[in-house]
Amino acid sequence: MKGIAHFISGVAVASFCPWAVEAAQNGNPAFFILGAAAGVLPDTIDFKFYRFFYHHEISVEPDPNRLDPQPIADAVAAAVAEAAATGWPVRVKLATIRIGADNWRQYRVKIDPEAGEVRVQFGPVVSTGQVPQPGTLPANRPVGLAKLSAPVLQSYEPTYTVDIFDGPSFKFIRNQAGQVEIEFLPWHRNWSHSLTFGACLAGLASFWTWQAGVVVFGAHVLHVIEDQMGHMGTNLLPPFTKKRMPGLKIMHSGDAFPNFGCVWLCCLLIFWNLYAAIPEPLYRFSFVRLMLYAMIIPFAVFGVVRWLLVRADKGHPETLSTEWNV
Amino acid sequence: MIPAVAAVLAGTVLACFLAILPGLHIYNVMGLAALFLYSLHGGGLAAMPEVYIPFMLGLVTGWSILNTIPSVLLGAPDESAIFTVLPGQKYLMIGRGYEGTMMIGAGSLAGVFMLVFLVGPFAPKFLPVARYVFNPHMHWILWVVIAFILMTEWPKGGNRGPAGWSKFFDAWSTLGAGLFTFFLSGLLGFLLLYRPLVSVDDAFQNIMPAFVGLFAIPWCLINAISGTEVPKQYVCDTLNINGDLLLRSSIAGGIGGGFAAFFPVITGGIGGLLAGHATAQRDERVFMMSQGVSKVVYYTGALMLFFAPGLFLTRGGGALIIKGLYTPHTWADYYLALGSIALSGAVSFLLMSPLTKWTLKLIKVVDYRHISIFSLGIITALVFVITGWVGLFIMTVATGIGLIPVLFGSRRLNCLGVLLLPIACNMSGIGEPVAAFLGLLK
Repeated sequence: MKGIAHFISGVAVASFCPWAVEAAQNGNPAFFILGAAAGVLPDTIDFKFYRFFYHHEISVEPDPNRLDPQPIADAVAAAVAEAAATGWPVRVKLATIRIGADNWRQYRVKIDPEAGEVRVQFGPVVSTGQVPQPGTLPANRPVGLAKLSAPVLQSYEPTYTVDIFDGPSFKFIRNQAGQVEIEFLPWHRNWSHSLTFGACLAGLASFWTWQAGVVVFGAHVLHVIEDQMGHMGTNLLPPFTKKRMPGLKIMHSGDAFPNFGCVWLCCLLIFWNLYAAIPEPLYRFSFVRLMLYAMIIPFAVFGVVRWLLVRADKGHPETLSTEWNV
Repeated sequence: MIPAVAAVLAGTVLACFLAILPGLHIYNVMGLAALFLYSLHGGGLAAMPEVYIPFMLGLVTGWSILNTIPSVLLGAPDESAIFTVLPGQKYLMIGRGYEGTMMIGAGSLAGVFMLVFLVGPFAPKFLPVARYVFNPHMHWILWVVIAFILMTEWPKGGNRGPAGWSKFFDAWSTLGAGLFTFFLSGLLGFLLLYRPLVSVDDAFQNIMPAFVGLFAIPWCLINAISGTEVPKQYVCDTLNINGDLLLRSSIAGGIGGGFAAFFPVITGGIGGLLAGHATAQRDERVFMMSQGVSKVVYYTGALMLFFAPGLFLTRGGGALIIKGLYTPHTWADYYLALGSIALSGAVSFLLMSPLTKWTLKLIKVVDYRHISIFSLGIITALVFVITGWVGLFIMTVATGIGLIPVLFGSRRLNCLGVLLLPIACNMSGIGEPVAAFLGLLK
């Protein structure tokens, strides 16, 4: 999920703690700030600290002036071969191609276990918002193709799109069956997203008060649970577990509706918890009524209006997916 | 009724000219208008509220819609528009400035629609409950928003090279600049709050030179020295948008602008940031239109809520200025406000196309850099006229801070530390101890 969903989830966790609400009513915002920070902390650690220190054996930096996909395919195939031959993990980083202040050349890499090959092709120029710029798809688009020397096992999706900011990285490692397992973004959703790390953080926070520890642990665990809804999963109990537990594949982390739904639900839960903490409320309403008026009816109206608008347009919603595939 | 309609139209037309002047904030003009009304009152004359309230609403509504034009075409945004500038200027630089401006304008019209037909009927019933529940918790909500701004900036560097400290420092140059900007502007805010440098007579404009320096001047300076050549601009007949995109924009912008209009100190820029993250919209068109919605819902909505029966919420400079002149107390006031907003919104949107075309002609004839220098001159003169030499000094200091994010590529929203930090500290009861620590209470 996106940062704001984790962030507000942490605030929602704090709102469930009566001591946090009471402290806030007395002017102390600490528990809520702590919950918010703990909610987003796992991603902060990964994206703002850990990834800069994560070593890659192979770093592929395509030439922006010569769009040749073959060296990329060769590098990925070579990494698989090395991992299969040595048994040591081989980490590969695919760099993005920045071609202006706000423009990036997109390319896609497909590691196909069934065909036993890697295919790479360049796509259009996209903005930092990943919006393809019209007329930028290269006229001549050869496909770089390299055969894999060992069977591979995917843990994520087979096609990887490389475009903005930092490119993806992979860890190739041979398993006991002789297959080379592909771990996507090996520096992400690992120890920082584990329950053990959450327990350590909670222990640290408990030096202040045990209530802080509860808020931190709750926010952290909720982050882990939310991430388990996606495709990548998380490594739940390192050092006892070494791999990520596969996600439930219910959503992608960037999907608009689940993210907004989560944020809105958290806002309503916070509102309800604050209301419930008022001893003699001036206004009286039930939780069901709140959810009905503030979530179910508005979401239903949005759904119907959107359906009508899409139907009135061309019958399918407009998406940003680029019309090409490797 | 006719005087009210005429007043709305007069306010809207005046807003057209004011909106085209880059860097000029409508609250400054409203402040001057309030001073004029006070002087009338002092002279034994009185203006009818049925006239000056629609006039003020016309000013705010018209300005919040039409200030998109300088934001996109002249590159001098106010704080609420800083998010539209990057995509908007991208449109300008590929010859589609008109399309970009009109797209944001379409969002603004959707914002007016939301205010009048959705928020308008429900606000008096539901928002008093929300205020009742949230009132004791405003301080931590503000702190949580600050934490979000500081924790969610994305590192732009550190994407290449071997792993290690050099990569880390490369990435953190932007993040560090953002944090530095926030705390510097926060310190400036403390200084302005506890040791106001502007004279007592101009106290209502205390923060204005700082805002101009933080947000408007850096853009004018960068534009003036960058040597940007604006390419030939094309005027399109239709906008590449549909109902679905407009609906998604309205939801995103409405939530962002609504959040900013309802909670204290949260500005339109912050509301836009939160809504952009929450609704996860990547499409530039949705993004731009949602910022148009957010801007209108923030400025006009905040003023509208001041008139909502059972709520009478004072948020934003506009409501504060009117509060000094008039206290709304009936449904008639609310209907007058809603009607004024609807009329002004419709007229402003109709004026948007000709004004945009006129501005594009201006850019064609006059060098973009000269316009930036001219804008710089107007803003500086305005600050001098209103706040004098002291104001110019504050503006210069603020410009130094405002240039940090521009030069380092960090979020310009960090400049809002000027408001957020001192007010959050005050709301949590630690403002005075911090001010004492900084030596501001001696």
